Amino acid sequence: MLDFFRDGFYKDLALLLAITVLFGAVFSQGIAWAIDAYFGDTLDQMIGGYGEYDLILHIRAEAKEAAWRELQRIGEQSFPGYKLNETLTIAGQANVFFGLPPEYRTKEVLESITSYFGAVPGLNGYTLMVQPSVLIRGVHPGVREELREQIEALPGVRFAVKDGNNLVVLAQGEDQLPQVQEAIEGILDQYQILELRFPMGFAVDTQEVGDRALEVLRAQEKLTGNRYLNVTSAQYGEDLDAFLKTLVEMRDFLGSYASKVRIAPAAGTALAVGERLVLDGAVQAGQELIVEVTGVFGDLAEGMIIQGSPVQSTDKVVHTGYRLSADGERGEYVGEVEIENERYRLAYAVEESLRLLAELEELAVQASAAVDNAEAVLTTFQEALMQLEVLQVQMRQLNEGIAQSEGKPSGEQFLLTLLLNGLFQTLAQSVLSSGEESLDSLENLDIEEMRRSLDGISTQIANVQEINVAAIMEQIGFVRDTLPDLSDAEIGQSIRLINTYLGGQVIPGERVQLLIQGQKLNEKELEKLFQKELDHPYLHTYSTSAGMVSPDARGEIFRILKEVRSIVAGLLAIIFTLIVLVLDHATIFSTLKQLRAGKKGAVRPWLRWADPLLLMGGILGSALLSSIYHLARGQIPFFTPAVIAVLGFALGVLVAVLCERFSPVDSMELMAAQALGLSHVQIMREVVIPPSRPGLLNLLNRFRQQF
Amino acid sequence: MLEIRDLYKSYGKTVALDGVDLDVAKGETVVIMGPSGCGKSTLIRCVNRLTEPDRGSIVLAGQDVLALSGRELQRFRRQVGFVFQHFNLIARLTALDNVMFHLVLGGMDREEAREKALDALDKVGLKGAAARRPSELSGGQQQRVGIARALVTNPEIMLWDEPTASLDPILVGEVLEVMEELVQNTGTTMVIVTHEVSFALRAADRIVFMDQGRVVEQGPPQQVFSEPRSQIGRLYRKLLLN
Ligand SMILES: Nc1ncnc2c1ncn2[C@@H]1O[C@H](COP(=O)(O)OP(=O)(O)OP(=O)(O)O)[C@@H](O)[C@H]1O
Ligand SMILES: [Mg+2]
Repeated sequence: MLDFFRDGFYKDLALLLAITVLFGAVFSQGIAWAIDAYFGDTLDQMIGGYGEYDLILHIRAEAKEAAWRELQRIGEQSFPGYKLNETLTIAGQANVFFGLPPEYRTKEVLESITSYFGAVPGLNGYTLMVQPSVLIRGVHPGVREELREQIEALPGVRFAVKDGNNLVVLAQGEDQLPQVQEAIEGILDQYQILELRFPMGFAVDTQEVGDRALEVLRAQEKLTGNRYLNVTSAQYGEDLDAFLKTLVEMRDFLGSYASKVRIAPAAGTALAVGERLVLDGAVQAGQELIVEVTGVFGDLAEGMIIQGSPVQSTDKVVHTGYRLSADGERGEYVGEVEIENERYRLAYAVEESLRLLAELEELAVQASAAVDNAEAVLTTFQEALMQLEVLQVQMRQLNEGIAQSEGKPSGEQFLLTLLLNGLFQTLAQSVLSSGEESLDSLENLDIEEMRRSLDGISTQIANVQEINVAAIMEQIGFVRDTLPDLSDAEIGQSIRLINTYLGGQVIPGERVQLLIQGQKLNEKELEKLFQKELDHPYLHTYSTSAGMVSPDARGEIFRILKEVRSIVAGLLAIIFTLIVLVLDHATIFSTLKQLRAGKKGAVRPWLRWADPLLLMGGILGSALLSSIYHLARGQIPFFTPAVIAVLGFALGVLVAVLCERFSPVDSMELMAAQALGLSHVQIMREVVIPPSRPGLLNLLNRFRQQF
Repeated sequence: MLEIRDLYKSYGKTVALDGVDLDVAKGETVVIMGPSGCGKSTLIRCVNRLTEPDRGSIVLAGQDVLALSGRELQRFRRQVGFVFQHFNLIARLTALDNVMFHLVLGGMDREEAREKALDALDKVGLKGAAARRPSELSGGQQQRVGIARALVTNPEIMLWDEPTASLDPILVGEVLEVMEELVQNTGTTMVIVTHEVSFALRAADRIVFMDQGRVVEQGPPQQVFSEPRSQIGRLYRKLLLN
């Protein structure tokens, strides 16, 4: 068989192989590249170029127009130099790209996207796609801040932004990405979240079980270097924390609002928390009064009304208490139960205030009038005093006049004097009621001072009148009306409900999550340990990571595209090889088969399986496929070089076996050519190849063919 | 000129040649006759190694044919003209190219080859059909192109494998005419396998009867036809008398 190639055809074959491999590689890679480029362009249009946009805003399609205007406004106002572009609308949701100018790609901006864009009409959410970045998905809230700190300290990292459950780590440059990603993976690798799951309905106190589980772990000697943390509640985030705090506040408020129940157990009676008592005594119409014991302190117990309403009284009301059995039967006498109702007291106080205020207003009006009266009296009094003075002077003059007159006073004069003096005395006495005091002491009264005092009082009263008592009353009335209209039973039930929910401030749940830093633990080994130590045979353990580095969606798409490219290139290489084998090499195989037909001896049976022709086909196929596949950078999953070599071999053998079907050679022409003394290479070039199937062999032969 | 000794050839269990001895003198025209499947074609193909015999020897013009290989074999084959039953022309080439291409490939100048080819075509009466392809020629014309192709090299010996067997009777005549003329005018050694009894009688120097891979009788035409010693001979005599 080698003779066949020896007289020159080997050159043709070598050239053919070289060109086949080259062409095959270019062809396969070219088409794959074209596909890649096409999809890449399409993708670029769809999702923007690398780093061109920083976020995709998902907007309800019908609000698109309004959203667009708002986005332009936000852009102009907050991010001058922004970029806006619309992309696909999928399922009623429009997607708009927003590109931040580089100077705005800061942690502050990226963490407050909602405050910038929250008012965009129809906004359903957004996706961060800022580049160059590494995306860590599913970061456990219990380690987020810890991770962020470590990651931000890595070289090449600008900062890390929280985006829902993800952390987006911004790198300084695209070149740093692989190194940053590797470092992040290294950090994440130190963490493990071990989850203990309880079957449905087995809600446990996660704090308590978590702490016990941590003890179990810490007791493991070989794992002493590890750090453990119960991060169960962290998974619910800060919102829950706030909610729990509110619940506690509410519980405390309700508690102080409820009637205080103090139980004085009769001698020899022991009470337990949770026991119920039914009370005798004054009760509002309706149900019996039932109290639950909430605390026992020595010879005193506290309780809470869980049914019925006590009489509305601001004073303590004393009832007699009897034990209440589980089936609702009244039992033995337990002692006196004192009920004090702050709520009623509050309501009473408010009512009283309202009344007081109403009276205050009245009082102010009256006081004002009284002051006015007092001033009038004072004025009158002052005038009277002045007239008295005048009178006094006249009296004195009169007396003097009488004494100085040369003659004896007339009897008339004397009588008048007497009369006047007596009148004056009486008058002064009646006015001043001061008995024998002289009129001078009257003059010592500081009338002006009195007047000033009265003015002050008057101003103050005016001030009181100016206070809008009506408004205050309205407000207090409002307070009174908004006081929760809850019965003691309702309050009691609410408090009990809140308490069960809080369960001492942890969530009863079906799973406990533990953070482990350090050596990795095998969750399946631990499962048995936990089942035993926590005495919970149905418990299961699962291990998850504290976060997963995942290529960003865009990078992922391009990675898939690249993979597709490699697969397409690989498939094309295989197809190309098969085509080449069928079109070109089958002709050669056919010729070889024909030529040896006239050769000496019969083909021995065992040779059929070690047929040199088939062997040659296999080797050729293997060589062709391997080199084309390799040069085309084909990469099909599971198609290792060995697999490719075997596949090529198989294809070659197959084509060699079926060569005459693929490319029959005219045996008569071949025989004539032989008889005419043509060499093998001449036979191939002039007789066999020209009428063969069009292919590379046929094409290349055109340059050598003489006829 | 040609000495064949003890030639054996079998295809699996089928024995095609079962110890054939045959001598052909220079310039002699030998006609081989025999029933279908008796090994005529196999024998004649062995002479230019289109078929490899299993054993035996073939000496042509002093050359041990079976020892030849590669270029020697190719050169040897150019000295042997071979005419096929089915013409075996190259379908894509014109009549002229069919006749001249092996001359050119053998190293001859194209012009010279062309002249020789036209000359050969002229000899078989087909100069005018030089530009036609085999598909545009009748069977007889195709075989005459085949003959021209064989004789264009001026071979020392011409081997004919039933040249008229695939022609319809009307066309057989024109081919036989050409053959007879060649036999008479060229003096080339001819080994002709044919069932044309009358042609054999007219043209052959010697007739060889074969049966089941063996030469069963040979001798001058008059002798073998008038007094056949073999069963085959008697069958051909009957054919001739009819
Ligand atoms: N390539 C081959 N493979 C197998 N058997 C063959 C082959 N060529 C010929 N034979 C067998 O060898 C025997 C001789 O064949 P050959 O062609 O030489 O006979 P023939 O005398 O030329 O017959 P025909 O007059 O039909 O041409 C026959 O039995 C034939 O079937
Ligand atoms: Mg035959």
